[in-house]
Amino acid sequence: MNDQFEGDWLERRLRDEMPYINDDGFTARVLQQLPATQSRYSVRAAVLLCLTLLASIITYFVSDGGRFLIEAVYRLASLPLLFVGLLAICSTLLVTALAANAALSTARTER
Amino acid sequence: MPLNDADLVARVLLEDDHHAFAELVRNHQSPVRGLLRQLTRGDLALADDLAQEAFLRAYKNIRSFRGEAKFSTWLYRIAYNCFREEARKRKELVGIDETKLEAEPDPQTVDPALRHDLMHALQLLPLHERSAILLCCQNGLSHDEAARVLEIPLGTVKTNVLRGREKLKKILSAWGPA
Repeated sequence: MNDQFEGDWLERRLRDEMPYINDDGFTARVLQQLPATQSRYSVRAAVLLCLTLLASIITYFVSDGGRFLIEAVYRLASLPLLFVGLLAICSTLLVTALAANAALSTARTER
Repeated sequence: MPLNDADLVARVLLEDDHHAFAELVRNHQSPVRGLLRQLTRGDLALADDLAQEAFLRAYKNIRSFRGEAKFSTWLYRIAYNCFREEARKRKELVGIDETKLEAEPDPQTVDPALRHDLMHALQLLPLHERSAILLCCQNGLSHDEAARVLEIPLGTVKTNVLRGREKLKKILSAWGPA
């Protein structure tokens, strides 16, 4: 009796010993416990999107066609190059830290 | 034509389709519950509670399933994590408890005498070897897939399977093939 034969025999016996387990209401019990809130996420996202759009439109008209944005760009362009560079690096680091935090918490949830 | 796992997962993700998720549960409940029954040493109630918890977690975290592994592998991993959390609270799930060997017989037994011996032999293995044997030899996962489920290196899985097989062979030698 070689090792391969013994291994196959063992696996066959193990699989034979694993009968199909009838559902017997198991799926229904799982479904009863499913949270019914996930569909609300899409509604919440739609509401947030609409509010953001509305706020943008109001801001555009109130600020005389978004004039404050043009002024902000002018002001930024007049700043020293070193300051703008530092601002860019800080922003990049902040976004990277936030993304890493989000990725870690997602991985934790997955576990 | 029945939908495959990827299509069903897509429906759950895009439409929060409970019918699609029910189909996934129906397709996978037997192997997941079977694995947990073996891991819990035949505690049917606890195994089903853990299986329910595993499916609920799968539903809540389905967005984190990226299709890199098979859905069943991902599900086994969640189920094994549920078991591991429970095992931390109940030491008897990890150690050997001879009283569990006298658990009530399963009505779906094919061959009661051999089944009892095999169950007995499996339950005598330490948890890490039992888990590897169950996943690779009984549930048909590759060593790589089992390593993902158990979150241990591939080499460790291979060693655990080899050692578990050797021990099983010794225990079962009394009624093995001639």
